[in-house]
Amino acid sequence: MSATEAAPSPLLGELLLTDEDNARSADRARVHSARNHSKRWRLLWLLLGPGILAMLGENDGPSMIAYASDGAQYGLGLFVVLIPLLFAMAFVCQEMSMRVGAVTHRGYGELVLQRYGRTWGWFGAGDLCLTNLVTLIAEFVAIRVGLAYFHLGPGVAVALGLALVLFTLSGGRYWRWERTVLGLAVFNGLFLLAAILVKPDLSTIASSLSSTPFPHGSFNTLLLLLAATVGATVTPWMIFFQQSASADKGMTPADISHGRYDTAIGAVLAAVFGLGALIAGAALLSHGGSGIQGFAGAGFPQALDRVAGGAAGTVFALGLIEAGAVAILTISASTAYAAGECVGVSHSFNTSLRSAALFYTANVGVALIAAAVILIPGAPLLSIALNANVLATVLLPVSLVFLVMLANDRGLMGKWVNGRSTNAIGVLVVGLVSACGAAYGIDSFLRAVHVIGS
Amino acid sequence: MTEQELIDQAHAAGAPPEALAEDQSAQEMIMHLERDQLVAETFRPVARAQLQGRATAALWALRVFVVLVSLMVVYAFVEQLH
Repeated sequence: MSATEAAPSPLLGELLLTDEDNARSADRARVHSARNHSKRWRLLWLLLGPGILAMLGENDGPSMIAYASDGAQYGLGLFVVLIPLLFAMAFVCQEMSMRVGAVTHRGYGELVLQRYGRTWGWFGAGDLCLTNLVTLIAEFVAIRVGLAYFHLGPGVAVALGLALVLFTLSGGRYWRWERTVLGLAVFNGLFLLAAILVKPDLSTIASSLSSTPFPHGSFNTLLLLLAATVGATVTPWMIFFQQSASADKGMTPADISHGRYDTAIGAVLAAVFGLGALIAGAALLSHGGSGIQGFAGAGFPQALDRVAGGAAGTVFALGLIEAGAVAILTISASTAYAAGECVGVSHSFNTSLRSAALFYTANVGVALIAAAVILIPGAPLLSIALNANVLATVLLPVSLVFLVMLANDRGLMGKWVNGRSTNAIGVLVVGLVSACGAAYGIDSFLRAVHVIGS
Repeated sequence: MTEQELIDQAHAAGAPPEALAEDQSAQEMIMHLERDQLVAETFRPVARAQLQGRATAALWALRVFVVLVSLMVVYAFVEQLH
């Protein structure tokens, strides 16, 4: 709780009001004003944020590289259908986390810890920290790849990433943090621009919709693609982030319909921009795209430069920088929320550094550790980038199961519990994610120990 | 309780004028936040859920499954590096 909390007042009895309450109340005052004056567009504008940030944050460096790599190796085919389907799946999961946050006003980490015990709470936080650290390393790799196109080194990537984290934290308000990151996230649209610049054959895209062949290659490669693509759309950090951010923003059950719009807009934008990366990558298919395999996108901007012109290469490189930067901000934030929630101390952007030292330290600290890793000479950065999404897929089922349990908890959610269709889709998603992760993990392990041929 | 009732109650309790002004602004702020949104309220832990034995066993099975698959992925990743 804030160190600057107000003294109990004669009017408010035992209530203690903090700076965090004041800041959140100011934001809510604008929401109430817009709602009372029936300013629909202003209300939507005020309530947009966590959903779009979770979805576009997940259109991160490794994800966009994975989509482009899918396109470069296999063409459009299956992925034109798979990417929108997976974002529809992500919408269901993220809508649940938004709804739980808006109804309970608490983050995912603290609810799991308090409702189901410390063991499960800390397990969840441990999973999150592991996947976040690996993913953050991959984000710095993506920025590094983008900057390399402009002949800038890893030191600049580290400085840029950390400077952004510090800048966005300097405002001391959730609203300012959210709007700054949203402003950056808009540039995820660069991938759509890259797709336009490669001048794709529209008839090829249309034919992909009528026939969706499975990509060729080994069974393990297909599993890797599926696991990485699933991991590129739903991850543990998104669940932690959107629930905590919805609570931090001050959303209430009255805002749930707008929260759904926010999440749906985010899902549509992320799917469109993801398809943009896929289409841009597919331009390399007939130009030795298979040579990009395993390269973790390090050569994409240069390859696009050669195939589709300098503008396409430049836009793709800038897109990678943006994707990495936005993800660093949102993933660091999810780590900070989880740390504060599990330890039981202040965890809000509306709190000062002094009052929420752990929250801010975790936010900067996890980015700092990831940045330090990419400066280690000889570190297997490209392998880490490739496997970041797979690890997220493998660790996701536990987070999803607890999310479904929370969203069905009538004691917490009251009339806002999941409907049957949401539960059916939720169970389906848990099954799909578990199957993808397990199939890839077991197949890779058996190959590694030479039980089956590679 | 209405705002006026709160102020009347404070008058009766002998609250000084400064406190009244402060309280009025505080009351406005609370009007924009649900009571359970206040930081003081969110720090009160929610009650522990009572999970049935089968649910607990299923959660542990899922946890063991996830840890095993994670170890396999990490092992395969390390092998790839070599």
